Amino acid sequence: MKLFDPTSKPVERAVDLAPRPANLGGLRLGLVDNTKFNSDTLLAKLADRLARRHGMTVALTSRKRSPSHEIDEAAVKTLRAQADLVVSGIGD
Amino acid sequence: MTTDAAQDPQQLIEAYYDAGWTDGLPVVPPTDASVEAMLAAGGLRGDEVIGEIAGRNQVVVADKVAINAVMAGCRPEYLPVVVAALKGLCHADFAYHGPASSTGGSAMVLIVNGPIVRALGINSGNNAFGQGHRPNATIGRAVRLVMMNAMNTRPGLLDRATLGNPGKYAFCFAEHEDDHPWEPLHVSRGLRPEDSAVTVYASNSLYQVYNQLAATPEPLLACFADALSNLGVPNMKGFNQSLLVLAGEHADVLRQSGWSRRKVQDFLLEHTRRTVADFKRAARLPGAVEPADATTWRRLFERPDDILIVCAGGRAGSWSACLPGWGNKWTKAITTRIEIPRRSA
Repeated sequence: MKLFDPTSKPVERAVDLAPRPANLGGLRLGLVDNTKFNSDTLLAKLADRLARRHGMTVALTSRKRSPSHEIDEAAVKTLRAQADLVVSGIGD
Repeated sequence: MTTDAAQDPQQLIEAYYDAGWTDGLPVVPPTDASVEAMLAAGGLRGDEVIGEIAGRNQVVVADKVAINAVMAGCRPEYLPVVVAALKGLCHADFAYHGPASSTGGSAMVLIVNGPIVRALGINSGNNAFGQGHRPNATIGRAVRLVMMNAMNTRPGLLDRATLGNPGKYAFCFAEHEDDHPWEPLHVSRGLRPEDSAVTVYASNSLYQVYNQLAATPEPLLACFADALSNLGVPNMKGFNQSLLVLAGEHADVLRQSGWSRRKVQDFLLEHTRRTVADFKRAARLPGAVEPADATTWRRLFERPDDILIVCAGGRAGSWSACLPGWGNKWTKAITTRIEIPRRSA
């Protein structure tokens, strides 16, 4: 007799991570609002603090379709082109 | 992957516990024969892809579904229902990640329609949500085991339920299509009466609605509207779906009234509401209560079709049920036709 493994792991895919910025001064900031309650408020406060501390400017804000959906490719492309640093990920 | 293990059935069961592959209940240890029988009944090759959760890079493959279905205690002929339910979960409009991962702790409610209900003996009558019927218990359980084991949805990891609910073990029932006030659910959603189908629907709670006196629709439906608009409902910040399960004498009241399904939905759309003042007093909306808030109403539904209505349960009794939908309008119930291979039909 033997055990039958009922599990399967996610398919591994190679992802190129952006190089980390050497310093935060003056970077163009992208915000991804996942539409969770108050996520827009929290991101705005965060952006304001980053602007005051590091001179960042908000280049664009992208709103996801819903918290359940991944960000779409078009939004990723725009963020890649227009932002140096992206902030996302508001949970409960 | 297989691993040598003990010969003793009890030790095998313990081995599945030790591996972290169960839902807390003992599982039926699969064998080559039982897994092959399961795949054969589904008309599937082991490497066939059933669906994919794109955001998780997670592919659901038939052999894993078959293994989990055996573990859940399914008979082979149940597999087409399990597969159709999983296709529903993987549908883009179900938006799986939200209801599967949320703190809301949704059960995946499976509603089965069509000839397969009678063929498999899926309970639609007395105690439709309760214990005692193998297909109800094991089909629902198989779907949850696949979610846990093959869709990366483990409690404490990508299942972040604050409380969860008992329906997360299994929640499968059939619609009672006889003596229905209207056409059954799957027909109302575009399929033919002779089709068999399963509708998957995410709900994080269930409460029963009681009314022993109502003989006309208005007072009866007022109870549903009130139940669906309590101050703790999850969906008051945005529209989503809700499910009503009409049982016993309540289904008779509506059938005898001559009201159409749409008329019932329109009534509920209109009456499922609270004032902004109510929501502010309960801190479900921010800010102080303004004078106009007392007469400013907030509806809980956007469209009549957001109110799903099915019939199930015993014919006697004054009970029905409300099952509010999970969180937001981006997760929609999905109805999938059950494909039954010719050789197992």
